[in-house]
Amino acid sequence: MIEGFRLGVFSRGTTLWDGLDFAFGDAAAWFVTGPPSSGKTLLLSILRGERRPDAGDVLVSGESLYRGNAALARAWRASCGHVSEQTIAGAPRTVGDLFHRSALAGDGMRKREREERADRLLEMVGLQGASGWRIAELSSSERGRACLAAELLRGPKVLFCDGLVAGAGVPFWEMLWGLFRALAREGNTVILAERRIPERWALAAGNPEPVGPFRVYRLPGPAVEVKGEPA
Amino acid sequence: MSERPSLWWVDWRLSRGPLVRESIGRFLFFCLLGFALLSLLLSGGVSRFLAGRYAITAVLRAGVPSSDAEGLARKAAALPPVRSATYRDPEAAWKEFLRAYPGMESLRGAGGNPMPGYIEIRIRPDRLTGADVEIVASALRSVPLVEQVLAGEEWLPWALRAGRLACRVSWGVFGAFLAGFFLVALLQERARAVALAGDFAFLAERGVPPGRIAFLRAAGAAISGFLLAAAGTTAGGGALFLSLRKFPFLEGGIGPPSDLLLPRTVAGAVLFCCGAALLSAAASLLGWRAARSGRK
Repeated sequence: MIEGFRLGVFSRGTTLWDGLDFAFGDAAAWFVTGPPSSGKTLLLSILRGERRPDAGDVLVSGESLYRGNAALARAWRASCGHVSEQTIAGAPRTVGDLFHRSALAGDGMRKREREERADRLLEMVGLQGASGWRIAELSSSERGRACLAAELLRGPKVLFCDGLVAGAGVPFWEMLWGLFRALAREGNTVILAERRIPERWALAAGNPEPVGPFRVYRLPGPAVEVKGEPA
Repeated sequence: MSERPSLWWVDWRLSRGPLVRESIGRFLFFCLLGFALLSLLLSGGVSRFLAGRYAITAVLRAGVPSSDAEGLARKAAALPPVRSATYRDPEAAWKEFLRAYPGMESLRGAGGNPMPGYIEIRIRPDRLTGADVEIVASALRSVPLVEQVLAGEEWLPWALRAGRLACRVSWGVFGAFLAGFFLVALLQERARAVALAGDFAFLAERGVPPGRIAFLRAAGAAISGFLLAAAGTTAGGGALFLSLRKFPFLEGGIGPPSDLLLPRTVAGAVLFCCGAALLSAAASLLGWRAARSGRK
């Protein structure tokens, strides 16, 4: 369980938001929407333990990320995956390099195993045989999906995605929908931040919980779908 | 190397091209520094050059038997600062005189050979100091067989001072090159840390402590610095060995090739490699720090 208590952020000389409470249960996919410049990226970085909130605290399984043990915060970050909305920074020149770098952040993985898993993950996100592709030649959608696959290489317990769904484009929404539900079914937590939620996802998720400028949806698991909810 | 990714050699894993170019450059620089270092260690600055040209001459009294003179030469050779002591009998001295001053045969007239016998004493390069020369000269002056000791006391202090100065200048130039290496390595490390900042931020975001990255980078830099310095010094030593073999006249100033394997020379080279490792690690840490402070 990831909980945010009375979270507040002061930015650009003003209060962006204050007193917000969040609760993201385990083994579920969550969708946070908000208008542009509402602080979605900031919220994700606070939940990841990257940016200390100006007010309030974040608790992971009951332990404070910012007021507790620094080793715990590091362990939390190590268990997280993060697909950023920004361009890919650093040395990676090919999609394969993204996986190499991701593996460096993990506990270590043999090269052959990494390559096999990378091929499977790339196929899963619709990028078959993309391992040798140059990142500079990828479209925005392909970059987002390649980064997602590279993050999944480490098997993160919690996955944060910033603007991934919108960036991936409509043709890949169904694939992402299935992927996020599968991750949740396996006990992982997925938190997505987007400007708007795809209409069919919103219908499936039901009424969102309004939290400050945000709307928080819990995407339904496969059991709900069986009962006749749209997929 | 293991296929298992780890943060050891993280720069190598993330950015091989620039690192290979830097390593080649450092190796070549270490070849040059190794050559210079071994030359300095062998020559002792200019001590060997001075010692090769300096000799104490003990002029013997007339009529000293050859056996006594040779015994005295052996005793002189046993003195700690002495490298060699050679007896020249009057006949050999006369021949040397004629080689130096041709056409002076007329001096050897009715009186016979005017040249006395003498002992030529050479000092070890590492003991060529005023005090050691004085020890040898006073030991010889106290011997009744010796008429005069020519030790060049008038100009020797000046020559030794000039030698010390030249030695300091040589080591200073070497130190300046070493400082240059450190500066270049620092700039390279900083540039690499800046270029890989995105990757390090990626790792830090995923729970890898920045301090651990910095430590492992520095450790990697130290090991590669030591290995590159060892390889460069070996190559430089090989070049010096071949140079001394091909141009024997260099031995007078630098020393014999066999001295390259003396324990003190090897110890000096190992110390140099350790110093290069420390400088490489320091450059890595400072470059990392500068790159991070530049980002803030």
